Amino acid sequence: MTYAIEVENLTKVYGRPESGVLAVDHVSFEVRQGEVFGFLGPNGAGKTTTQRILTTLLDPTGGRVVIHGHDLARDAYPVKRRTGLVPEESNVYTELTAWDNLMFTARLYLVPRAERAARARGLLETFGLAEQRDVKVVNFSKGMRRRLSIAMAIIHRPTLLFLDEPTPGLDAQSTHAIRDLVRQMNVEGATIFLTTHQIEEANQMCDRVAIINHGQIAAIDTPERLKAAFSRVQSVEVALEPRERSEPSQEWGNALSALPGVKTVVKLGDKWRLYTDDPAALLPLLMRHAEGHGLRVVSLSTLLPSLEDVFLEITGQQVGTVHHETRGDGPRRRRAGGE
Amino acid sequence: MKDEWLQRVLDELAQAWAVAIKDVRVYYLTAPMIMFGLLLPFFLFFSFSIKREVGAEVGIARLLALTTFFTASSAGPVIIPMERRTGTYDRLLAAPMSRITLLLGKTLVGAFFATMVSLVPLVVGLLFLQVTVADAGLLAICVVLASLAFSAFGLVFGSMPTSSATAVGSIMMPSTLVRWPLLFISGVFVPLTEMAPAAQMAAYLSPLTYAQDLMNHAVLGDGYLNRWLDLALLVVLLATFLLLAAWMHRRSRRLGY
Repeated sequence: MTYAIEVENLTKVYGRPESGVLAVDHVSFEVRQGEVFGFLGPNGAGKTTTQRILTTLLDPTGGRVVIHGHDLARDAYPVKRRTGLVPEESNVYTELTAWDNLMFTARLYLVPRAERAARARGLLETFGLAEQRDVKVVNFSKGMRRRLSIAMAIIHRPTLLFLDEPTPGLDAQSTHAIRDLVRQMNVEGATIFLTTHQIEEANQMCDRVAIINHGQIAAIDTPERLKAAFSRVQSVEVALEPRERSEPSQEWGNALSALPGVKTVVKLGDKWRLYTDDPAALLPLLMRHAEGHGLRVVSLSTLLPSLEDVFLEITGQQVGTVHHETRGDGPRRRRAGGE
Repeated sequence: MKDEWLQRVLDELAQAWAVAIKDVRVYYLTAPMIMFGLLLPFFLFFSFSIKREVGAEVGIARLLALTTFFTASSAGPVIIPMERRTGTYDRLLAAPMSRITLLLGKTLVGAFFATMVSLVPLVVGLLFLQVTVADAGLLAICVVLASLAFSAFGLVFGSMPTSSATAVGSIMMPSTLVRWPLLFISGVFVPLTEMAPAAQMAAYLSPLTYAQDLMNHAVLGDGYLNRWLDLALLVVLLATFLLLAAWMHRRSRRLGY
């Protein structure tokens, strides 16, 4: 197996080692050549710190990082030449034009003089910025800055691209363009290291996902296998309505949570989701409960865990303190009082 | 192997140049640069020279030393914190170049600003005050070398291990606290020849003393110290400040800033 990144016992303490704050705690993982690797975790989990170490912006307190076969502590130069970095904030020079930003980065990454202009033109076309090439970036929207930031990160055609929270707060067009580009680069052989707290993004884009919490890796696997491994967060989703005309009751939630085997009940619009270890055993109980309380079952389905369920389970966050949610491609949930 | 090494050196020089050109374009009109780099040295000069009988040549030599010192040393404490706040500094740190190359690029920026600002009093002096320069070649070397050394001096403050949220003013404060005493103990306002022995010893602690003495050699044709000693010390100071700034960068990376 060829690895693009090998991380061994990586540790980072902010401040003095004896009295500082531990941000990354003996983390070990590998990223395979050519995969999209998601680094998922809540804010403050150690994601960005790890990424800053991998991109040489920080020195680790302990441990070892090998990228493309080069030990980062001893031989970072060849790694830097093949690496692109898109940080969380679009770090573009607002007083320069889009074109000047690209040309400066091309010079910085030693792109051959004869190729700079052609590459810059191509990237401006790809990211829909060709018409704004001579506009100062201070006049750009957030999405346009983000696209330019990514174009700057790939003008030297890196074989390893680090993306830190690439899409939050962006319009659909920019999000789509960025995800397409990541897929395209990956098809062409680049390895992508995607740091995100957006579970759905990791689910859609990543071959494998590492979940980090409190500076430690909690799990690494494919999104599907992670979900399957967490059968304890399976659920049954049911929509109920009274047989006689009356308003749906909030009291139903308490009654449903009292059913044997139900761990948590979450109200999702007009539906209730019941988390359980054993959906098959719960179904007949649920039917009997509805019959006994004069309720009609409008719809009933069993659900495998979403990546968000897995994430919350692993990171020790409670499910069930939910008031409502929106539905997209998969189950989602917003925690009351959470971020 | 030798070709590879030479190519790497050429690449790094090209990168330093790219950083310098970019900084000149981005930062030349920022408020802190205008205030601390352009206006301050002129205010200082007039504050300490008006109503004192100072010859035009002496005044020009003094003003050149002041402008190189203040203008060049203002760039680092302004530009690096601004870039840290906007995140653009990470772009430079992640690029395939050494820290010394990056710092060299930043040094060139301050030196460029200082050299340009120095031209103003020099041209005014030559055209309107009939100032004569004893050694034009030495003056050119002196202005450029002093600007480089003082620009690197400013980088030391810009490189202090601080959070990326630190404001420009918070970096300017310590740099001002150090630069002003260095100005007053130097031989700019009181010539070394007129100083008491104790004051002279203190003056030798200020890098500005050697720049002023070299300016005197170049403009007046006479200085207190040997001109070669002044030149050598400015080169040593340039290298020392660059290495100190690089060490501070390394420390920042270790501490996590």
